[in-house]
Amino acid sequence: MSKKEKELAITIENVKKSFKLFYDKPSTLKERLVFWNKKKSDEHTVLKNINLEIKKGETVALIGTNGSGKSTLLKMMTKIIYPTKGKIQTYGKLTSLLELGAGFHQDFTGRENIYFNAAIFGLTKKEIDLRLNEIIEFSELGEFIDSPVRTYSSGMYMRLAFSVAINVDADILLIDEILTVGDQHFQDKCFEKLKELKNSNKTIVIVSHSLEAIKILCDRAIWLFNGELKMDGKTEKVIDEYLKVCG
Amino acid sequence: MQSFFKELYNYRELLKTTVKKEIRGKYKGSFLGILWSFVNPLLMTLIYAIVFPFLLRNTTPHYVTYLIIGILPWNWFTTVISQGTSTFLANAGIIKKVYFPREILPISVVTSGLINFLISCIIIIIFLICSGIGFSINILFLPLILFAQFIISLAIIFVTSSINVYIRDAEYIINFFIQMLFYATPILYSLDMFPNYIQNLLLLNPLVTIINGYRNIFYYQTIPPIKSSLIIIGVGLIALYISYKIFKKLEKGFAEEL
Repeated sequence: MSKKEKELAITIENVKKSFKLFYDKPSTLKERLVFWNKKKSDEHTVLKNINLEIKKGETVALIGTNGSGKSTLLKMMTKIIYPTKGKIQTYGKLTSLLELGAGFHQDFTGRENIYFNAAIFGLTKKEIDLRLNEIIEFSELGEFIDSPVRTYSSGMYMRLAFSVAINVDADILLIDEILTVGDQHFQDKCFEKLKELKNSNKTIVIVSHSLEAIKILCDRAIWLFNGELKMDGKTEKVIDEYLKVCG
Repeated sequence: MQSFFKELYNYRELLKTTVKKEIRGKYKGSFLGILWSFVNPLLMTLIYAIVFPFLLRNTTPHYVTYLIIGILPWNWFTTVISQGTSTFLANAGIIKKVYFPREILPISVVTSGLINFLISCIIIIIFLICSGIGFSINILFLPLILFAQFIISLAIIFVTSSINVYIRDAEYIINFFIQMLFYATPILYSLDMFPNYIQNLLLLNPLVTIINGYRNIFYYQTIPPIKSSLIIIGVGLIALYISYKIFKKLEKGFAEEL
């Protein structure tokens, strides 16, 4: 186990995930009692028997068409949802950039929201204090940092959220299609930051459709097709195959 | 269980900010702000103080003080139960989006309630002084009773809040039970008005021991019954353990059910 922990960042064993599709979901007691014998749901299997090991320091891309289960897999890694069968384990501090700005409070200022958002990621006040300047600087919000978040434009909002998430200093970063935050200038900056994180031996898992960016950033790509692992290997190779089928 | 404390420690900042938000955010935008958490029980006390002397033939001396010592802890209890039960629904937004230990939410509800209650103890002390009862060294036993109430409230809302995610009726059923419990707890009356067998029956309600504990400390100025308080704490801890397990089981489906 200790050896495993040293080398691996994420292990996924025989993971299956299925969702219940409700036709008319009962949420009150009355509905549950009255319609108890009605066929309520169908099972929809999103992921079938996935086995994966991601090593420390790897930058991995998850690719696949819509509905292939990429985001579901990512959500299970963050422990927002749990697998129906099988086991997922992560070693080290984990941050997900799935939903940026989750937990932002509209009436609080940008600065206060940094504290609140970073606290959700599990940072203490001292740790946040240390990173505060870096976060504000990265967000390029300037004096707006002390205005309530509700006055922000959507670009400013995302910039702040991204700056917090990326500066949390996690060992594992999970990213869902957010290489498209802000304007070109900010996107380039994020891209540079990701490269920097990659070089500092962080583990990064990215779900994205922008294959060009993935080619530059990731050493390994995993292709999910209909909830199954179709291919796993060097990024270039996997993307070539992927484009042949889905391009 | 060990991992529970570790997680809680790692996320202590989140717990702190959530508690703060809970206390400050609750009355945000209202004119009196946080004062409402004191005005409310005071008004309640006023109503009972007017009505009940007519209904009960002989009330205890200093009835208003007697009332307020019961009503303030009760107010903490009900606020926690009703807010706590709906806490996961109220925070559905972040539960669906980010991971953090979900137990932070119920724990912060009870904690912010505790802080509110401690502040409102000032009112109790004012009443104690004004009525001439004064206060004594027995106030040192207060943490014992506070702890008992804390773990029992937490044990209840771990279960009710988790169930409420799946069955939204829980909220309404609980509200009814709270109303019932109000009359089964010696807040308006004192326990010794009843024959023995009813007293014993009522004592099954842990809140009876707790409210009586507060009364002993503040009103009668005696040591609260240590043995029964410790029994309540013991039972409370077992209940808390079980309800935490239930919560852990149900927690896995939260993001999908909300």
